[in-house]
Amino acid sequence: MKRTGFLLLAAASLLLAVEAGAATRPHYGGTLHVCLHAAPASLDPNQAEWAGSAALFGLLFDTLVALDDQGQSQPALATAWQAESGNQRWQVALRRGVTFSDGMPLTPDIVAASLRAMNPTWRVFSTGDAVIIERDSPAPDLPAELALPRNSIVKRESGKVLGTGPFVVTQWDAGKKLVVTARNDYWGGRTFLDSIEVEMGKNFHEQMVAFDLGKAQVVEVASEQARRAATEGRRIETSAPDELLALVFEREPQSAADSKQREALALSIDRRLLNSVVLQNGGEPSGGLLPNWMTGYGFLFPVEVNLTRAQQERAEVPETSVWNLGFDANDPIERVLAERIVLNARDAGLRLQLATGASDIKLVRVPLASLDPQVAFTALAAALGVAQPRINGSSLDDLYMAENALLKSQRVIPLLHLRAACAVSKTVRNWGRTRGGLWRLPDVWLAAERP
Amino acid sequence: MNLRHKLLVTLALTAFLSVAAVAWIISSLVRHSFEETNQQRASALIEQFRRDFARQGEDVVHRVETIASGEAATRLALALSHGSPDYGAYLNEVKTIAESQQLDFLEFVDGQGTILSSAQWPAKFGYKDAQSTRSVPREAFLKREELPDGAALGVFAIREVRVGDKPLYVIGGRRLDRNFLARLEPPPGMRTMLYQNLENGFSPKLLINSSGAVGTADPVVSLIQQVQRQSREVTALIHWSPNAADDETVDAIPLTGLDHELLGVLLVADSRRPYAEIRRQIRTAALLGGAVGMVLAVLLSGWAAARVTRPVEQLAQAARQVAAGDWHTQVTITSADELGELAGSFNRMTSELLQQKEQLVQSERVAAWRELARRLAHELKNPLFPLQLTVENLLRARQQSPEQFEEIFKESSATLLAEIANLKTIISRFSEFSRMPQPQLQRVQVNDVVDGVMRLFQAQLSTPERAPIECKLELAEVMPTIAADPELLHRALSNLVLNAMDAMAQGGTLTLRTRRAGEWAVLEVADTGTGLTPEECERLFTPYYTSKAHGTGLGLAIVQSVISDHGGRVSVRSESGRGTTFVIELPINTDKLQAGQVAAATS
Repeated sequence: MKRTGFLLLAAASLLLAVEAGAATRPHYGGTLHVCLHAAPASLDPNQAEWAGSAALFGLLFDTLVALDDQGQSQPALATAWQAESGNQRWQVALRRGVTFSDGMPLTPDIVAASLRAMNPTWRVFSTGDAVIIERDSPAPDLPAELALPRNSIVKRESGKVLGTGPFVVTQWDAGKKLVVTARNDYWGGRTFLDSIEVEMGKNFHEQMVAFDLGKAQVVEVASEQARRAATEGRRIETSAPDELLALVFEREPQSAADSKQREALALSIDRRLLNSVVLQNGGEPSGGLLPNWMTGYGFLFPVEVNLTRAQQERAEVPETSVWNLGFDANDPIERVLAERIVLNARDAGLRLQLATGASDIKLVRVPLASLDPQVAFTALAAALGVAQPRINGSSLDDLYMAENALLKSQRVIPLLHLRAACAVSKTVRNWGRTRGGLWRLPDVWLAAERP
Repeated sequence: MNLRHKLLVTLALTAFLSVAAVAWIISSLVRHSFEETNQQRASALIEQFRRDFARQGEDVVHRVETIASGEAATRLALALSHGSPDYGAYLNEVKTIAESQQLDFLEFVDGQGTILSSAQWPAKFGYKDAQSTRSVPREAFLKREELPDGAALGVFAIREVRVGDKPLYVIGGRRLDRNFLARLEPPPGMRTMLYQNLENGFSPKLLINSSGAVGTADPVVSLIQQVQRQSREVTALIHWSPNAADDETVDAIPLTGLDHELLGVLLVADSRRPYAEIRRQIRTAALLGGAVGMVLAVLLSGWAAARVTRPVEQLAQAARQVAAGDWHTQVTITSADELGELAGSFNRMTSELLQQKEQLVQSERVAAWRELARRLAHELKNPLFPLQLTVENLLRARQQSPEQFEEIFKESSATLLAEIANLKTIISRFSEFSRMPQPQLQRVQVNDVVDGVMRLFQAQLSTPERAPIECKLELAEVMPTIAADPELLHRALSNLVLNAMDAMAQGGTLTLRTRRAGEWAVLEVADTGTGLTPEECERLFTPYYTSKAHGTGLGLAIVQSVISDHGGRVSVRSESGRGTTFVIELPINTDKLQAGQVAAATS
């Protein structure tokens, strides 16, 4: 009896396992509907705004090198690369059998032309099956640079931009809608999804409405809304804190008094309250430009408010300037952040006033461009409009020294690193994103929705 | 201005002033009535505002109570009683609650006055709010609220939520802005403005109406400043533009907070356009009435003045005719009133004057004949007496001394002939006077005539048989040519010179002068003789009058006749014992000359 029962139980378990396996097994087909806040006017990596829409470009284009979650370079269109002449000259071997969406093969000439277009200071030329890249100075991080979305390989023909990515464009309404269809001849293998429809230029509220109505399966969620959205039962996926929120001064300090006021401002801001109340823990307070998870030394930069010291610094200035604090007036959370910073500064005796036009200080959000710390740091400095930092080596110590020097220049006051969040429908399976926040849409498949 | 015009102007002015006075009285009455109505309307609006303000306050109180008894406030109060609440959970919720209750302001504040969540200033969480730590008023109140972009005024209410041992205060309110003013719904012709007393002094941008900022705030600056100083209601007439129709009567009402601090000034403006419109209509009607009245007054007064003044004008015209010598003039008597009586009197006067004139002429004629008879008798008696003596002497010589008769006859014949010649001279003078010719005008140089007369008498003046007379010529260098008869002029001047010589029997100075006086040529004959009495001067030019023993009295009459025939004047001025001056004024009158005469004169 026991044996019979055991057999029956085993048979039932097998049936359930088969049924469960059928439900979780990836299968081809379906259209994924996505909403984005960004509204790029062009799909050309040479012209497009990458911030906020990098995920799109991964659908259409490939880079020579890809970075894994540890920031290590991995082969993509390039199968191997080798540095010569003290990292000033690099030889990159290309993958064979790669074709563009029009069926034409990827050639070293096309790759060289694409890289030259994006990097005018580089000397890029083809040789056999490889591409030679020469730089004016040693570039040990060249593979990581080649992994930047802007260095995607494109072929320009008759005003069209073609890529080697897993999808091909079937509809493009600039800034509004993009429809892409899976390529059967993609070198990395066909994606599970047949197509992806992307609605662009939607604010967070519109995206959430579309999501709740089932019109979109993946939508972006504002950092400060992520917690509430999750508590309301939605599936929320968040990234590591990969977007810097900082105050950027328009000019270098003009005097010792100016420096003291900047120091007082940096000390007066309560980053933890900004994060916990305004952003609903949608980020992490930060005193550095790069997040701690990337560098490991971020904790060395203080984040705690020190009003007493701020007031002391302020007291040493006979007369304070009135600073205009600029922010994105279309972003309500930025307004609250800016207002809070004004109040914190007022506690220290500083005078800030909100401005939507010309300003002395700007509240900015800059996403990290790369998982490679040095490349990300260089790109951050460029995006913030400060002088390119000098990094004396490739070690973290060298990076810390460079970042510390940049912060000492008092052009930037880091505040927080924000997490990107998105709501993902339960029918979307195998959802994933890189640590840098890029969506891994090619790996996604859609499950049949159950009542 | 004649009498008719004076009457016309007087009557027209009377009509105009009457209309103006009536218009002014009506205008004053309308203004008084309008201002009374205006005051009543303003009071009604102010009362309405107070009711609306109270109603808005009650509404705010009601909504704040609703929030205080709601789930969110209770949840927050519970969280508060359990320790430090999660500010972030209410960061956006409070704004949603405020919007759902149509409140502009909403804050959750703990017992220490710490703002837990603020709809109007979300970033202010954790900061203190002074109001909540004070007593909680039951009614709505006015409050100044600090905002990120400045301060604002609002009607607020506070309610306390006490779930555990820690109180939670719900402070909500509505902004006192143009929407608030729009809800007041003033009657037509009235409007409201609000000055938000949020800064020291006056700031134009803080003055709003139901449409937004008031474009021109200058006219009410002093009014608002007066309320700021005195904190009491003030009324003033405000001129927004030179056009009086834009004027408004503005009541400025101070709005105060819980501590009686001045937070705002409500301006209730009542347009004076209707009054200006009525006043304009009255003025138009008055002007129209005045114009019609003026026209009617002119017509009627013209007619009346004509009726009154026509007899007077006829009398005046008749008087001018009488003055011109028409003594037969009579006026028509058209009425039986005073003017008719005046006309009758005038007619009687002219009739009597005519009779008296005829009597006078008759008397003068008789007197002239008598004078002529006397003068003739006198003149003829002088030669006749020697004639009589000579004839008697001849008769006596023939009877008594025939031997000497021949000699006496010769002597007597000579005497008789001389006296007869004398008689003939006298008769010829009279004859000459009666035959005074009309002047034959031609171009005459006055100086030449004077010079000719002087040359004629030069020899007589210097004869040793008489006392020496010095002759002086004072002729103008430039004398005009006049139209005159040189012969007659010469005779007249000669007569005057002879008179002067007669007047200077003891010698003296004879002066002949010429000069120009406007359109007149003036000749003067002056002597330094015995002079004349005023009575003699008066009668000097009367024919046959003479002050001399042997004169005929015709010389000066001839002078006057000649000068008068030339259109001139002759006068005399004399001072007894110092001499006499005859002045002849002759018109230049060359335009009377005919072309032929001019040509002849020129040649």
